Amino acid sequence: MSRFQKITAWLIPALCLLYIAIAAIRATRPATGFDFKTFSSLPVVSNGRIQPLDSLARNALLSIHGKQRVPGDDAPATPAAWLAELNFQPARADTRKIFLIHHDDLLGLTKLTPSEGKSYSYAQLLPSFAALQPEARRIGNADSKTWSPYEKALMSLTRNLTLYNQLKHALALPGQDHLESEFTQFLSTIASALAEEENQSRGQAFSQSAIDAASAPMTTVLDWTPMTEVYTTPSGSGPDAWKKLPDSLLESVEKKQALHPATLAYARLGDAYRAQDITAFNSALTDYRTWLAAQRPELLKKATSETFFNAIAPFYLCMVLYVVAFVCAIVSWLWNGSTFRSAAFRVLLIGLSLHTLGLITRMLLEGRPPVTNLYSSAIFIGWGAILLSTVLELFHRNAIGTAVAAVVGFATLLIAHHLSLSGDTLEMMRAVLDTNFWLATHVVVITLGYSATFLAGTIAIVYLLRRAFGSIPKSTATSLRGMVYGVICFATLASFVGTVLGGIWADQSWGRFWGWDPKENGALLIVIWNAIILHARWGGMVRERGMMVMAVFGNIVTSWSWFGTNMLGIGLHSYGFTDAAFLWLSAFMISQVLVMALGLVRERTRD
Amino acid sequence: MPIFKFLSSLRLTVSLLGFGMVLIFVATITQVELGIHEVQAQFFRSWIAWWDVMPGETKFPIPIPGGTLLGLLLIINLLAAHTARFKLSWNKAGMIVIHSGILLMLVGEIFTGLLGREAQMVIREGEILNYSSFPREVELVVIRPDADGLETVTAIPQSRLKDGAQFPFGGFTVNVHRYFPNSEILPEADASPAFDPVRATDGSGKGYAARRMPLEAADNRRDLATAFVEIIPDSGKSQGTWLLSNAFKGEQSFTAAGRSWKMAIRPRRLYHPFSIKLIDFSHDRYLGTDVPKNFSSKIKILNPDTGENREDLLYMNHPLRYGGLTFYQAGFENNDTTSIFQVVRNPVWTLPYISCAMVGFGLLWVFSQHLIKAISRRNKPSPAP
Repeated sequence: MSRFQKITAWLIPALCLLYIAIAAIRATRPATGFDFKTFSSLPVVSNGRIQPLDSLARNALLSIHGKQRVPGDDAPATPAAWLAELNFQPARADTRKIFLIHHDDLLGLTKLTPSEGKSYSYAQLLPSFAALQPEARRIGNADSKTWSPYEKALMSLTRNLTLYNQLKHALALPGQDHLESEFTQFLSTIASALAEEENQSRGQAFSQSAIDAASAPMTTVLDWTPMTEVYTTPSGSGPDAWKKLPDSLLESVEKKQALHPATLAYARLGDAYRAQDITAFNSALTDYRTWLAAQRPELLKKATSETFFNAIAPFYLCMVLYVVAFVCAIVSWLWNGSTFRSAAFRVLLIGLSLHTLGLITRMLLEGRPPVTNLYSSAIFIGWGAILLSTVLELFHRNAIGTAVAAVVGFATLLIAHHLSLSGDTLEMMRAVLDTNFWLATHVVVITLGYSATFLAGTIAIVYLLRRAFGSIPKSTATSLRGMVYGVICFATLASFVGTVLGGIWADQSWGRFWGWDPKENGALLIVIWNAIILHARWGGMVRERGMMVMAVFGNIVTSWSWFGTNMLGIGLHSYGFTDAAFLWLSAFMISQVLVMALGLVRERTRD
Repeated sequence: MPIFKFLSSLRLTVSLLGFGMVLIFVATITQVELGIHEVQAQFFRSWIAWWDVMPGETKFPIPIPGGTLLGLLLIINLLAAHTARFKLSWNKAGMIVIHSGILLMLVGEIFTGLLGREAQMVIREGEILNYSSFPREVELVVIRPDADGLETVTAIPQSRLKDGAQFPFGGFTVNVHRYFPNSEILPEADASPAFDPVRATDGSGKGYAARRMPLEAADNRRDLATAFVEIIPDSGKSQGTWLLSNAFKGEQSFTAAGRSWKMAIRPRRLYHPFSIKLIDFSHDRYLGTDVPKNFSSKIKILNPDTGENREDLLYMNHPLRYGGLTFYQAGFENNDTTSIFQVVRNPVWTLPYISCAMVGFGLLWVFSQHLIKAISRRNKPSPAP
């Protein structure tokens, strides 16, 4: 290797590290003006878990708008800034075009004129509520499996409007512009009314007007409670001791205390935001953060870490790195072998490290093993495949392992990104699944089985493509054959053990080892298919090319087990039903069949 | 012997596994229409399964080998292959361990099918029950209340309930005019001409009409079994016709042979030699959501034979094993005041554990051998493609 080549082999990975460093610096850089960065890291409870406002805002935007960025030139720059606007200046937020309507019939129902980007604001949709509500009631009474595309679109719009409204009432009450004084006023009004009532009950002189004065504000607060599902105020210890903003007012009245620091902070934040008073806004934040750091440091730590995790978006960075690694691997095949091969492998290792850090952070945030839902299974399948390919690359040193790892890693992270659009990816576990032991064993092992089967299939694709559109030197063919065979062996082991562990979990928790549930059947199909490949190979029924074609079919079997079974919408395991995914799955399967057909192409030997 | 050669061949193994995949795939997609229980019976516990390749109105079923047939052939193939190529060596030992484990698993599944029982106990807070019931099976019971508060129950199983079936009791005959395994029951006034013309002349079913319905496929729906039965005393004059159904709560009474009797169609019961009392059911949700966080049942076991009287707590992933049965927390209803236990008897539940350990260990062994060979063979880099 020349000096120039050596430098290149290190320069590309170094640039990748620089890229990550820049992303990390950007994620930690303090905000100027309104400190939305600190605001975004305030902890609340929503969707059953403690999370920063940042996650709440991001997931809401993803669900409503499909993106984390609000459109428009003067739009809030971050999801948290949007959340602040939504709560503290709702009239303005209502003009942001974030609701998506793709279905023409739904557009007809709302009487909106088609707009660019098919996105509409809350204010534009407001007049159609009278038409939407009876439709939503009618559709809601029918089985969701029978909904037409129009009905699904309408229900999703209704859900998003509800979500939007609930968020709008989370940190403030729209229409009340001086919350701090109104909250304080509320406490004193109610306190004096209670005192007068006590006088009344003791038969002493009392003021009826003071009692009557409490009734209107009390109604306002009581009506506010059901409008939101966000718990803002950590009033005691333990996850269930959180209070919604209005409930925290009632608690203060009950316990004859001053406003809770959290409640006071949100009131001040809102008032300062409306007054465009940056200093007041930021000092309210500092006060509350100081209180949190002193009283509830664990909440602050968790929320801050999750905010940082969201901001750095490690899996997005990984996708970029995998593209770089793939390009380098291709270059190494076409030109200047070892330089770019080393560069590719080093970039892949950087990606793998970041991927691993991302996985570990998620595990720490959730307090769970790595795979808890469909989203995390995608992240983990990619991770497992890359880990296995790293081993292959160390053995074979021909950049095939790197290239394949980059493809599988990129594809699974892309799938994960699309799965994340359906909401909170760190959601709480249902009681049925609530056992770390089985999540850590059954789920992890079976997911590694998926990784290995996909990996074998992807290497086989490399073989079949190269064979069809060129020719494979004998040594490369031998190397590819060895890789596919080894990975299939590992896949058989992992998918078998994983499947049986699932059976044992089922036996432990609901009394039957095997129930022929679709997901169980899917896992069994993978085991059997891998066993078939091995037996066919040992029996001499297939040779190199046959084994490659069979390995590609393994991709179809695995994608069926991973996604296809969830689309049936039946059985204990169908926790991840997704709709548009059906088209993608079909397209993927057809593409795999086409690749398998390449196996029929006549050999062009060039030994 | 060519037949032995065929039975021990790897080609047969691969074909059987291939058919296995077809069976499992078809059974999975058929579940949408038939439901999981029907599919288990028609596909996995059968010799021949019928695959309806054109689901919908026009039926076009083609036969594929069923689970029992495939399982049996695989066992034969496995045994024949090992007999034919048996050779005790370290190289082969791993394979023998793997295949013995698989054999054990297949055998275990067959015995689970034969010996295993799955029932349910639906119990209210404060209630004491000494039986579980099979939610998918019904029985027609005729109950003779005896003087000392005891009851003599005669249960007629579902399989013997048919149109025209007759069951003689001492002094009278129960004559089943109509039996619908699943049905719709409506007040007579709302019934269309499609409903059966037979009507009840006595009991809680008077004024109702019923008609046969296809069996329910969905896992969460239950069949409503309905029968019109006539009581004919040996003297000859009919006592009237009753409409019995598991849609009605409680028993219906009639008089025959000089005393009063009760009868009902109800889920088939499995009586236990002990009782369970549900003391308390509790259920938490995650704050601000409907997602269940946990649910648990505090129960008391009352066993008159052993004098046991102790409390226990059942919750998700923590079943109660008692008296050869295992009780699992399966669900809840009625505003969290009723708990549902899955009650399972499976004498061979340990087999999968043993076979899993064997196969896992064997695979690890065999593949490590491969890996070691591969490493020793190839320690030089292979050129780029």
